[in-house]
Amino acid sequence: MVTTGQIVVLMLAAVLLAVGWGLSLARVWRDGEGLRLAAKAVSWLGVFCATGVLVWHILSRPGNNWVPLEDNFEALVGLAVLLGAFVLYVQRARTVGPLDWFTLPVAVVLLVAAGIFGATKPQPYVDTTWSWVHRVSTFGGAAAFAIAGAAGGLYLLANRRLRRKDLKADAGPRLGSLERIERITFTAVTLGFALLTVGLVTGLVRAVRENGGRMGPGWETSPKVLLAAAVWLVYAVVLHSPINPSFRGRKVAMLSIVGLVLMVGTLVAVNLMPAAGGSR
Amino acid sequence: MQRLALLGLNHATAPLDVREKIAFAGGERDRAVAALRARYPETEVALVSTCNRVELYTARAVHGHPRAEEVISFLAEFHSVPPTAFESHLYQKSDVEVVNHLFTVASSLDSMVLGETQILGQVREAYDAAKAQGATGALLNPLFQKAIAVGKEVMAGTGIAEGRLSVASVAVDYARRIFDHFGDKTVLSIGAGKMAQLVLQSFAQLGPKRLMVCNRSADKAGQLAAEFGGDAVPFERLGDHLVVADIVVTSTGAHDPIITKRMMAGLRKAMRYRPIFLIDIALPRDVEAGVGELENVYLYNIDDLQQVVAGTMTQRQGAIDAARAVVARHVDQFLAWQRAREMGPLIDRLSKRYHQLASEELARTLNKLPGIGEPEKAHLAELTRRIVNKLLHDPITRLRSSESLHGPSGQYLHALEQLFKLERGDAAHDGGDRNGEVDRGHAE
Repeated sequence: MVTTGQIVVLMLAAVLLAVGWGLSLARVWRDGEGLRLAAKAVSWLGVFCATGVLVWHILSRPGNNWVPLEDNFEALVGLAVLLGAFVLYVQRARTVGPLDWFTLPVAVVLLVAAGIFGATKPQPYVDTTWSWVHRVSTFGGAAAFAIAGAAGGLYLLANRRLRRKDLKADAGPRLGSLERIERITFTAVTLGFALLTVGLVTGLVRAVRENGGRMGPGWETSPKVLLAAAVWLVYAVVLHSPINPSFRGRKVAMLSIVGLVLMVGTLVAVNLMPAAGGSR
Repeated sequence: MQRLALLGLNHATAPLDVREKIAFAGGERDRAVAALRARYPETEVALVSTCNRVELYTARAVHGHPRAEEVISFLAEFHSVPPTAFESHLYQKSDVEVVNHLFTVASSLDSMVLGETQILGQVREAYDAAKAQGATGALLNPLFQKAIAVGKEVMAGTGIAEGRLSVASVAVDYARRIFDHFGDKTVLSIGAGKMAQLVLQSFAQLGPKRLMVCNRSADKAGQLAAEFGGDAVPFERLGDHLVVADIVVTSTGAHDPIITKRMMAGLRKAMRYRPIFLIDIALPRDVEAGVGELENVYLYNIDDLQQVVAGTMTQRQGAIDAARAVVARHVDQFLAWQRAREMGPLIDRLSKRYHQLASEELARTLNKLPGIGEPEKAHLAELTRRIVNKLLHDPITRLRSSESLHGPSGQYLHALEQLFKLERGDAAHDGGDRNGEVDRGHAE
C-alpha cells in the first residue's frame, strides 16, 4: 500500500521537478551558467526523491514476492524516474540543452498521477512472468517514446529558430544541432519500438492464456488494442526513415510527437478505463 | 567652384533584392564610370559598389551636370531596370554631407557590421579604379585619400574592429546548429573570391571529410583548393557537386542565380533529402530565395549573417563613440583644408588687387607733390597699405571663419568673384594641381 509518507515525498519530488523545469525554462529570457546549474541541481534532487519513494515503496511491500511494476504507483513513478534521469544524463554535456523543457512536465504529471491513481491495489495478473514482462516492456517503451517525443519537440523548435533567422528567436540556451537531436529521436524510437513490440507480443500471449487459449470477445475493437497498434504503426513509419529518406527531419519529429500522444492515450486507456480492456 | 554630390543606397535603405538590381558585379563598375565620364567629361566620378551599398560620388561645377535625376536615369539605363525599382530607396547628399558620409563609410561606421575591415579596402579599390581611368581630380582625389586615411586611423586607433564576430564565424556557428560533427561532411565553395576564401578558412578548421572548390576559372579554383587541401571541381558539373555537398558557400559574380529552386528540388532525391546548409554571400545573389523553402534546406544570405554580427555591436559602444569622434575631427580638418584651398588664392588676389590699386593711386598723388621727401613718401605708402589692410580685414576674417564646404563661404566666394571682378588665376596659383594631390600632406 502507498503510505502518506510516500505520498508526501512523492509530491516533494514533483514540486522539485516542476521548479527545475521552471528554472530551465527561465533561461529563454535570461540565460546564464547559474540558472543552468540551479535547474540541473533542483531537477536531480527531484529525481533522487522520486527514486527514494520508489525504493521505499518496493521495500515496504509485505512478504518477499515482489514483482516489477506490480502496481500503478510503482509503474508511474518508475516511468517518471526513467524520464528524468535519462534527460539529465543526456544534458550533462550541454549538447542538447533544453530537452528537459519537454520531458520534465511529463515526469511531473506522471508523479502527480501516481499520487492520485497509484493507490490501486496490485492486480492479480501481475504475478505471471508474461504479465510483468509485458508491463516492464510497455512502460520502458513509453519512457523511450516520451524521450523521442521530447526530442521531436526540440527538433521542431531548433528547426524553427534556424528558419526564422531571427536574433530574438535565438535567445536562451543552445538547443543542440539538428543532427544530434534527430539521432536522439531515432535512437529513442528504435529502443521504444523494440520494447513496445515485446510488450505487444507478451500482452497478446497473456491475453490468450488468461482466456483459455483464445482471444477474449471484442478484443479487436478495444481502444487499448487499437491505440497500441496505431502507436506501433507510427513508430514503424518513423523507423522507416533511413530507407525512405524523404521521411526525415521535421516529419520524423512530428510523427514522434504524434506517437507519444497515442502512447499516452494507450496508457490512459489501460489505467483509467478498465472497461476498455484495460487494466489488463 | 565645384560641388560634391552623392547618390546611392545601402543595407539600411534598400533590401537585398533591390540592392542586387543595381549592384555592379565584376568589371561593370569600371564600365559604368567610363560611361558616365563619357557623358559628362567635366565631372569627377567614383563608384563604390559592395554587397551592402552602391554609391556614386561626383564632383561637378555648381551649375553643372549630372544632376540627381540624370544619375538615376543612368543607373536605370545601365542595369536595364526601371527607376521605380530602386528610386525610393536612394539617398542624396551634397558637399559637407558627402565628406562626412564617405569618412563614415570608410571607417565602417555605416556598415551593417560595424568594425568590419573589408569596406576600407573596397573604398580604396573604388578610388584606385576611378583614378586609373582619370575620373577623379581636384576634389575627389583629396576626398578619397583623406577618407582612406581616416578609415585606417579608426581601425587602428579605436578598437572598433576588436572582438567582433565575422560573417565567416557566424556561418560556422549556424553550421554547428545543423550538424553535430564535420568529419563526414563535404564543403563546396562555388566561386573563388576573397570572401569565399575567408569562409572556407573557417570551415576548413572544422576538419570536413572533403572540401571542393568549383569556379568558372579552373586556375582560381585550383589555387584556392590547394590552399585548404581540397579539390578543384569543374563548374559544368555543379549539380553533381551539390548532390554530395552538405555545406555550400556561394560567392560568384554571376548576374542571375546559379542555384534555382527547381534545380535544387530536382536534386533533393539524389541527396537523400539530407540537410544542406547554403551560405550565399554573393551580390547579386547566387541562390534563388525559394531554395530556402525546401525541406531540410537551410539558406542564409549575406544580410542574414551580417544581422547576427551587427547584433553584437552594443557591447562595443565605447569604441563606436571614439570612432565617431575621429571621423568628426577629420571632417572639420578636411573642411578647413578645403576652405583654405578655395579661399587662399581668392583672398590673395583680392589683397593684391587692392594693394595694387592703392599703390597706383599713391603714385599718382606723389606725382602731384614734387617737393616731397623720401621719409614722407614712406609714411604715405605705409598709410595706404594700412588703410587697405583695415578695409579688407573684416571680410577676410569672416571668410576664413566661415564653416562649411559650400555653405556661407561658397556664397561669399562667388559674390566676391562677381563683385570685385576677381578673375581666377591658373591652377598652380590656386594652391594645388588639378588632381588635388599637391596639398595631400595638408589634407592628411
